[in-house]
Amino acid sequence: MAEEVKKAPRPVDPNSAKYKLGKIAADAFADAIEAKKKGIPVAWVSSNFPVEIPETLGIATVYPENQAAGIAARGAGERMCNVAEAEGYSNDICAYARISLAYAKLKSCPEQDVAMPDVVLCCNNICNCMIKWYENLAQELNIPMIMLDIPFNPDYDVSDAQVQYVSAQFWDAVHQLEQLFGLKWDDDKFEEVTGFSCRASRAWLAATGCAKYVPSPFNGFDLLNHMAVMVTARGKECSGDAMETLYKEYMENHKNGTSTFRTEEKYRILFEGIACWPYLRATSTGLKSRGINMVTTIYADAFGYDYDSFEGMIKAYCSVPNAINLEKSRDKRIKLCQDNHVEGMLIHTNRSCKLWSGFMYEMGRQVGKACDIPVASFDGDQADPRNFSEAQYDTRVQGLMEIMEANKEQKGAN
Amino acid sequence: MTVNELFAKLHEVPADPKAQMDRYLAEGKKIVLCAPVYTPEEIIHAMGFVPMGAWGADTELRRAKEYCPAFLCSIVQSILELGINGMYDGASAIVIPSLCDTLKTLGENWKYAVPSIPFIPMTYPQNRKPAYGVAFTKAGYERVIRDLEKLGGTFSDEKLAASNAVYNRHNAAMRKLEQVLAKHPEVTACQRSDAFKSAFFLTKEEHTALIEELTAALEQQTPGTEKTPILLSGILADAPAFNAILDEMGLHIVADDVAAQSRQYQTDVPESGDALTALAEKFANMDNCSVLYNAAKPRVKWIVDTAKARGAKGVLVALTKFCDPEEFDYVMIKKACESAGIPITVVEIDRQMVQFEQARTNIETFRDMLNM
Ligand code: SF4
Ligand code: SF4
Repeated sequence: MAEEVKKAPRPVDPNSAKYKLGKIAADAFADAIEAKKKGIPVAWVSSNFPVEIPETLGIATVYPENQAAGIAARGAGERMCNVAEAEGYSNDICAYARISLAYAKLKSCPEQDVAMPDVVLCCNNICNCMIKWYENLAQELNIPMIMLDIPFNPDYDVSDAQVQYVSAQFWDAVHQLEQLFGLKWDDDKFEEVTGFSCRASRAWLAATGCAKYVPSPFNGFDLLNHMAVMVTARGKECSGDAMETLYKEYMENHKNGTSTFRTEEKYRILFEGIACWPYLRATSTGLKSRGINMVTTIYADAFGYDYDSFEGMIKAYCSVPNAINLEKSRDKRIKLCQDNHVEGMLIHTNRSCKLWSGFMYEMGRQVGKACDIPVASFDGDQADPRNFSEAQYDTRVQGLMEIMEANKEQKGAN
Repeated sequence: MTVNELFAKLHEVPADPKAQMDRYLAEGKKIVLCAPVYTPEEIIHAMGFVPMGAWGADTELRRAKEYCPAFLCSIVQSILELGINGMYDGASAIVIPSLCDTLKTLGENWKYAVPSIPFIPMTYPQNRKPAYGVAFTKAGYERVIRDLEKLGGTFSDEKLAASNAVYNRHNAAMRKLEQVLAKHPEVTACQRSDAFKSAFFLTKEEHTALIEELTAALEQQTPGTEKTPILLSGILADAPAFNAILDEMGLHIVADDVAAQSRQYQTDVPESGDALTALAEKFANMDNCSVLYNAAKPRVKWIVDTAKARGAKGVLVALTKFCDPEEFDYVMIKKACESAGIPITVVEIDRQMVQFEQARTNIETFRDMLNM
């Protein structure tokens, strides 16, 4: 039988970061399914909702964006999108939302099943699309919706008015959940959870910060996978431990001159945008085959939820990548480029994400100018495979590489 | 003026907004552009500026493409295009509320694409009803006030109270007109569109006067024979070719849920307390809109109820291409209409549309279905 001749996958060391992180990400889905069976309330949660709330209250969590990414990576993005489109959803809508709404209808998808929710916890600090998506989930599933509104900040700094507004909502959300499910807020637990979250965040920042070494001790595509833990489990104790292991491994790689980027690192780029999950291999190979390592992405910064006060936490949630203005977004990228010796920027113009892509052309120009690096972009989608062309990707990456090459030669000549 | 003279006047203005803007500038007035939606015009008015709607135009997109990927709605893209091409030159500022993702990007791009016209952001809360939401709306207004002061405007609560009254009166006039139009099938969709669209380019005082006169004149007029009554829903429905199709098909808009038409006039500023708080309360009280959060989605019921109350035979959704807030709502509206037995159809429109054949075919099929 076919299965018998299949090569057994290389065993993964259970003490490795890869194993630990993979397990945490997988357990997150399984735990919620178990919790549901035990009658523990389950929430579907936006990726940048303050996880401190459900973690402290003991509500089991499912992250629909994470689920959709998994479904897309396993090749079912188009099938699920088609289900949503048959319901009347336009194919212009974010593919994560389409996949999730399709799941709400089917309540099953072998590529990634999840526990069905008793409540949806929405935070729009990454997009207002999230509000519409969750409103419809709440309606279709006939469950309550908790909305934590963190508006896009047109200013560089977070205002006192915004801190007050978001803080008030934080406690309002807590009280609503207490009432809905008969739960009780526990300050000690909260402190513990914030401790876990900060620990995981610090280790994540340290690990991703290892990209400052040349060559980088890791392939940036690793981050796209490991990020799932930062989304779904940063408030759990095990995450800090796993992230610290990751950091240690990267430091060891650096000392030993090894890397998870298993070829010669000729060029170093910043990859801008969400991964094209349906084409992870194609997009990764297109870079690797040319010796291009995507050493950093804004995710390196995005999950740096390290804070030392309640206000600090609120401000961190107000400062996630899609909530900040062009100048602040630009400066974060410039810093990543400078810290990590980046030589080029590759932008994923993501059809799903109007906000992320909507001022990226201008921002790309500004980052390119400030860092004196070439910038290229390609069209794609994080989950709908119909919006990506391998040929275009290849041409754009090749073009980017040629300019980086020419820049290197010029520098060498000087 | 007669009904037709009034409609002719209301047609002139939206046909050439630039001319209207230049007239005001020549009179020494200062203009502040108001991007969609729910820009606090009352504040701008109170501070001595003429608020002018900036909802883009049916124009080809060229320069906007340097900033916007193709999948942003054409309203936002064409606002940017007009800005880059100098069509808004002379304006003192643009106020852009960030109630949808695409509008958030408009402000950011504007700063670099049209540096000559300052960008003033208006940040609204989605949790607008609790006291903390009202406080945040107020903080957003205060930010707008500070920016307008830098441009020479002066604020006082008394002046705002007076402006609130001007806007409430305009709201009432628009609501009354809308009710009267529902009883006058002889008024064309094109004329109806002009009556609403002209509001963006005239001072509210002038527009109110024209609309009140029009409503009074219409009330004197014997209504024509009923055509096919429909409810029109969407963000924008001002394309002359689109309205011409509605007229050609004998459709009569007896109610609308169009953001650029009646949707914005549903809520008045309450008369309680200080004027700025009252204005923030107006925003708190607003609803029935795709960009205003409400988990109960009252808009859906509003459409069904209004369609029934007004005797609409069907609901026509004019969906602005790439408008995701509306695209999400559409599914819920469709389901609700279907279960209420109200026929519904959707037509995608955008500001670059030159071919209306698809729209015509859809609308024709819809009309035939309603008349079966
Ligand atoms: S991809 Fe963009 S639009 Fe979709 S959920 Fe994420 S931030 Fe929102
Ligand atoms: S048409 Fe839709 S997407 Fe465009 S600005 Fe208006 S609400 Fe936003």
